[in-house]
Amino acid sequence: MLKSRLARNEEKTALRLLLPAFIILIVVAIYPLGTVFYTSLTDKGFASTEETHFVGFENYKRLLSLTIKELPPKMTLSSLLDEHTAKQEVNPKTGELVYEKAINILPREPIRYKELIQFSLFGKRYVIGATDPDFIQAIGNTLQFTIISVILETILGLGIALVVNSSFRGRGAMRAVMLVPWAVITVVSARIWHWILQSSRVGLFNTILARFGIGGGQIAFLSEEIWQVPSMIIIDVWKTTPYMALLLLAGLQIIPRELYEAADIDGAGKVKQFMHITLPLLKPALAVALIFRTLDALRVFDLFQVILGSREYSMATYNYFQLIGNRAMGYSSAVGVIIFILIFVFAVLYIKALGVRSGE
Amino acid sequence: MKIIQRALFYFVLLIIVIYLLFPFYWALNSSFKSEAQLQMMPATFIPIDPVTGKISFNLINYRSVVENPEFLRGLMNSTIVAISTTLLALIAGSFAGFAIGKLRFRGKQPSMYIILAMTMFPQISVLTGLFAIINTLKLEPRFGMILTYMIFTLPFTTWVLAAFFKFLPTALLESSQVDGATFFQTFYKILLPLTAPALVTTGLLAFIASWNEYLFALTFTTIEPSARTVPVAIALFTGYIAHQEPFGEIMAAAVVVTVPIVVLVLIFQRLVIKGLTAGSVKG
Repeated sequence: MLKSRLARNEEKTALRLLLPAFIILIVVAIYPLGTVFYTSLTDKGFASTEETHFVGFENYKRLLSLTIKELPPKMTLSSLLDEHTAKQEVNPKTGELVYEKAINILPREPIRYKELIQFSLFGKRYVIGATDPDFIQAIGNTLQFTIISVILETILGLGIALVVNSSFRGRGAMRAVMLVPWAVITVVSARIWHWILQSSRVGLFNTILARFGIGGGQIAFLSEEIWQVPSMIIIDVWKTTPYMALLLLAGLQIIPRELYEAADIDGAGKVKQFMHITLPLLKPALAVALIFRTLDALRVFDLFQVILGSREYSMATYNYFQLIGNRAMGYSSAVGVIIFILIFVFAVLYIKALGVRSGE
Repeated sequence: MKIIQRALFYFVLLIIVIYLLFPFYWALNSSFKSEAQLQMMPATFIPIDPVTGKISFNLINYRSVVENPEFLRGLMNSTIVAISTTLLALIAGSFAGFAIGKLRFRGKQPSMYIILAMTMFPQISVLTGLFAIINTLKLEPRFGMILTYMIFTLPFTTWVLAAFFKFLPTALLESSQVDGATFFQTFYKILLPLTAPALVTTGLLAFIASWNEYLFALTFTTIEPSARTVPVAIALFTGYIAHQEPFGEIMAAAVVVTVPIVVLVLIFQRLVIKGLTAGSVKG
């Protein structure tokens, strides 16, 4: 009798204690997520007097539509008169063959397609058009940023963790140093790197590179398109590698020393020890660190917004731009939903991969 | 052979230290340069006078930063928001953490999974929804920030504290029940004091996360600039001295906001590392 009353009492207390946290999370996360899903199906604007309409999946269609078209070669004027001497026009300056303008080939109805990229394959010229090339570009930027920075952070982080894991004097100080980049506010680190990467020799990178005869102190890291995403990667790798290293270090420290001693007695080399002891036993820590970092990188906002603004987008900064700059609530909601789904898919894939491993 | 190996090891260590610290050193170095010194080409590794070539530290950037009302207001707003967020996350988080870590009840498994899943919730996805709510209800932006920062602080504090409560001996709970104390009394009279280190750890991490937050702060203060926090103020810094981007002042501001956090983190180093890795190494 007493026990069951106690048990019931315990149950009641538990629910009462959980209530505040769940109410808060419903108010700030679950409910807004629901409204975002709904708003993404409308053409709602922010602070606009126009009526809101339900538009179905129109926003998604506009965000994600892609098309591929072959560009026909542009013929010289004379070949129009005589089909036997048909010749493709050549750019007199560059000597390259000239093709029809993409804008004339891409469909305009019902939504206009704009050129995203052109490429040649088997002697033919193609163009990829998108109804919203900025967003497709943002997805590309974000994926490129995520994949490369997570790989670099993992390799560098593992290297640092292995070095710090061996015993030496000043190990405590070293761990303290590792916390510094993590403790710098992201916006502040973006601003510091903005200054380091200046496009003349007032910047540290150009000063050093120029001393080695590279770039003549003129590399425009942040305004030239090919350098923009790589610059973001450099900054992110600096800021988050130590965090990765700390997570991996914690994983390394629970590997029993005896295993290495036994391997030493058996005469296994350092590389063999790393492959057969360290790596397999580090897998759980590695997997969790990878999940955290990947999901974090996919929603990168601060770096892109502070340094690149509207010049080059990540998915998150595009969402922000559509909301604040364009006042398109429905459209930006659709961007938010796409990011949510993408992150969800990544999380499930990772957890599946993890679950399989721990079940072995 | 041993000596060479040792030397090589410390050389690698030195490179790692330089890699981790040089951007901060560069900010420090630049913060002591006047506009003329900043524009010197090539950039110098310590502030020197452009004419005489002698070392010359300049405090003008710090002076204009501490006299900048927007920056000072930012510091105050950030302090208010970060402290309130931390307290709220710790209160609600320790309640929920205690229930999940120590009590038996139906629906425990699902609650755990929901909390764990929430630690990975992407804030950006609900930006539009939250912005709409805040505007319709005309919520004060700082209050809006405190509430919405729960998205990334509350699941984390709950999760870490639950793991901590779980390892406290159940005997404590039972003996106090025999003495006639309710669960609630047991919780805040006996268990909560024991969790002080865990509270400091999670509190510190929640504080830093809120101090760092930029997306919501930027969005929610678009209509009310007086509520801007430090990250927003620094991102939008336009100087009083120079018309172009005032990097000297920005670097001085960067140093001013970074040093306290770094000191705080170094003091609580052990706890911070424990908290950071708590989620990864499964207990």
